[in-house]
Parts: sequence; structure tokens; C-alpha cells
Amino acid sequence: MNFETTIGEENISILHVVGKILGNASDAFRKAMELQLQTGHDKLVVDLTEVPLIDSSALGAIVTSLKGYQRSGGKLVLLKPQKAVQEVLEVTQLATVIEIYDTEEAARDAFM
Amino acid sequence: MPETILVVDDDLDILELLKMNLEPEGYTVRTASDGDGAVQSACTEPPDLILLDVMMPHKNGLQVIEELKNIDETKNIPVILVTARGQTDDKVLGLETGADDYITKPFDLREVTARVEAVLGRTRPIKYINPLKRAMGEGFSEAGLQQLAGHLEAAAAIQKKLLPDQAPSLDGFDIANLIQSSTSVSGDFYDFIPLRETQIGIVLGDVKGNGIPAALLMVMIRTALRLLCHDEPTPAAILKRINDLVARDTEADLFATMIYGILDTEANTFTYANGGHCYPFHYNSRTGIDVLKTGGMLIGAFEEATFTYGACHFDPGDIIVFYTDGITETEAAEDTTSDTSTHWEQDTSALFYGGERLANCLSENTALAPSALCEAILTDLAQFSGSTQTNDDRALIVIKRDI
Repeated sequence: MNFETTIGEENISILHVVGKILGNASDAFRKAMELQLQTGHDKLVVDLTEVPLIDSSALGAIVTSLKGYQRSGGKLVLLKPQKAVQEVLEVTQLATVIEIYDTEEAARDAFM
Repeated sequence: MPETILVVDDDLDILELLKMNLEPEGYTVRTASDGDGAVQSACTEPPDLILLDVMMPHKNGLQVIEELKNIDETKNIPVILVTARGQTDDKVLGLETGADDYITKPFDLREVTARVEAVLGRTRPIKYINPLKRAMGEGFSEAGLQQLAGHLEAAAAIQKKLLPDQAPSLDGFDIANLIQSSTSVSGDFYDFIPLRETQIGIVLGDVKGNGIPAALLMVMIRTALRLLCHDEPTPAAILKRINDLVARDTEADLFATMIYGILDTEANTFTYANGGHCYPFHYNSRTGIDVLKTGGMLIGAFEEATFTYGACHFDPGDIIVFYTDGITETEAAEDTTSDTSTHWEQDTSALFYGGERLANCLSENTALAPSALCEAILTDLAQFSGSTQTNDDRALIVIKRDI
């Protein structure tokens, strides 16, 4: 798994992740999400376009971070999860509490 | 999960003899007939103990030990040396090299079993050290890790006692269950709770997160469930209560997925609620396999979560299979972990066992009794992954109505 974060217009950060997020990689994933919040960037788009699969620890990272963003009045949304990831989000019903968008524009609009 | 013993000897008769003697004791036995094979086997899937012949051509037992002691994954595996009578030098050298015990040929089979059990009893906590090191970094002393490993071993033993060994026997139904824990304490759990004469509560769950906090959460959920299932009328209400309890009392990154349902052996129904857990499969001889898709939020993450309940009817011969994601997330045999960045578009169904293959395995084995069906699934998993070991906990419950 690799990732990079870009901070763009309107102070919206985009965390672009590439590869499966499994096992220990979830720690790095969680820290990347939380780092934005800690540095005062409380609008985060997690771009899952290139993530074929996540496991339960990655799911835990998303839940933890989501709650962190909510507590501090910020917002975390997901961008374009692939089929297998979408399935996990649906089975656990995280899809009902986290906003999921198909395009970057739509994800950005969510913060307006 | 049975402990694995690697038996190494160039005499195939002795290999067979030891295998036949140790397997009935509940151990899984692997064999290797020379030193190189032993090292390779130990590195690929570290066993819990090695019974190692000293006198072998090419690479002898002492050289094998030396090699294993130089590899992180294998250096803590206990070794019992098997030496010919009178080779005192070998014994001394062997113990100096790091063997844990020795047995002299010709041996008494009862002595072999006793020594194996004694060494395993002494060294059981050691197997936690490598996973602990990985989890906690290098900053901990060996002594500190050993103490922690001892605590984990004790926690695992308590936890095992909380899981019923056997499914209850019921009129008109047959239930089988299976659990395989990875090296640390288990996150998967199940329970069978008698409610009325014709009703039994069944739960299968998976606590996410690791180690002792996860194990404690499992104990908390299990206890809450046992207390609540007599008060609350529906599975959905029970999951709601447990969710609120866990969400209030625990950290955000500790949560669980679970299915709780009531099997009624008179009405032949199963009513259930699902807290974010993998959807179970329901097989019916006329309609085939159906996915029980009544879902709900995972347990313990959000206080506002709500749950609905689903129901299904058992015709004679119907089967329901519950499983945890350790089954469907079992990885394929090939090394697919490297450089995923360039292959992200590839079909993930080839990388993981997945629900579809599990459903196929079920549909091909619907004539089997539940315990045989569990075995068939394990065999299929082993074929898919090329290994009988698991990195994650796995649990299965199979319920079948008699024909």
C-alpha cells in the first residue's frame, strides 16, 4: 500500500491510497487520516479508486478516523470504492453513516 | 487449533511410527526425511515443535538446529533431539546448540509422547513472542516480552474455556462448529444458549482489533449476551443493547461483528439479527443457496445504530452456514502480496477465497452431515491457500435440519 495526500482548494485534503489495505498497513492508513486532522485540515476525501481490497483492521481505521472527524466538527468522505470494498462497507453498514461519492467533484461539493 | 509437530528422520519407518503414535494424541504431524527438508518445512510454516534425528546424511540434526537458530521465524521453535544410544557427545552438543530435550533410540513411544507434552507445556508462551515483537516494535526487552507472552497464554486458556467444545444436540437438527485461532488470543467466538426446551440462542461473532483488549471485549459481549438473551424478546433488541453497551464503554477502534439468532426446533425457524457480520448462507433443496441479507451496523462503533431482524424457515435437509471473515479472506497460494500497486485492477476474487467459493463448496456438499461439511470447507480452504495454517481466526457454524 502507498498513499499521498494533497491539500487543494477550500482546504480540502485528498488522501490517495494505492493498493490493498491489510494488516499492519492499516496503522499507516489510520495515521495518514488522523495527521490531516491534527494539522488542522478537517475536510478529508479518502480516495479509494485504486484500493482493490480492505480487511477488518482497515475498516477499524476508517471507523476511528470518521469518529475523530465528526467529534472535531470536520468531515471525512470516501471516493469511489471498488466492488469488494463497497461490499464490506455495505455488509457492515458503514455505507449508511459515511458519505461515499463517485467523482472527485461530487466529493468536493460535499464540503460546500 | 491442534499443535503441529515436525518429525525429521531419514528412516521412513520411524517417521511413520512417530506419526501414527502422535496423531491420535491430537497433534498435527508433518514429516521431513532430511535436514534440508526440515529447514525448509520449518521456515515455510513454523511448527510448534520439532522432533529431530541427529544422525542423518548430508545435513545432520545439529546443523539443522544451528540453521534454525539463525532465522527469526524459527529460532524459538522447541526441538527434541533423537539420538542413538551412547552418543553422549551428541546429547551435550545438542543441548548446547539449543535443543530443549533429547530422546534415545530405541525409544519407548510413551516416553516420546510424555517428552513432547512436557516440552510443549514449557514452551507454549514462546510462540507469542514473535507476533508480539512485530506488534510492539523492538523496544521491549526479551524478558518483558516473555512475561507478556505468559499473560497472553493464560488469557487464551481462559478464553478457550468460554467457548463451548460441542454444539448441543437437538431434536431434528444437527449442529457442528469449528474454530481455528491464529497464534494470539482469538477474536472469533461463538456460543449456544439454551432458552426454552425447543429454542436455542446461537451466536457467531468476530471482535476486531488485537490481543488482550479484543479478548476482553469478546468476554464482555459474551457475558452481556448470556444475561440479555433471557430478557429481551428479539435478536434485534439484544444486538441494540449490546451495541449501546460496547459503544459507550470502549474505544472507537474496538468493535465487533456478530450474528445472533434463535433456532426454534418446533416451528423450524431461525430468527436473527446481524451486526455487520458476513451474510450467512441458507441452502434449500428446491431453491438452492440463498444469502441471508438482513443486515445491521457493526457492533460497538456507533451508539445510534439500529438493528432489524430477519427470519428463515428450515425445510427438511436445509442447511445454514455461518462463518467469519477469516474464512473468506484466506489468501490464495501464490504470493500476491508483493507490489500490488501495479495490479490494482486485477480481479480480487482470485486473490481471496471469498463468499462465492464458500457457497460453491456448500452446494457441492449438501448431502454431508454438518461436521463433515465443516471438514470439506477446511479442505477446500487448504487447497486454495496451499496451507492448513491460518493468519486470522476462523470460525464456522453449520446447522442442518434432519431429512
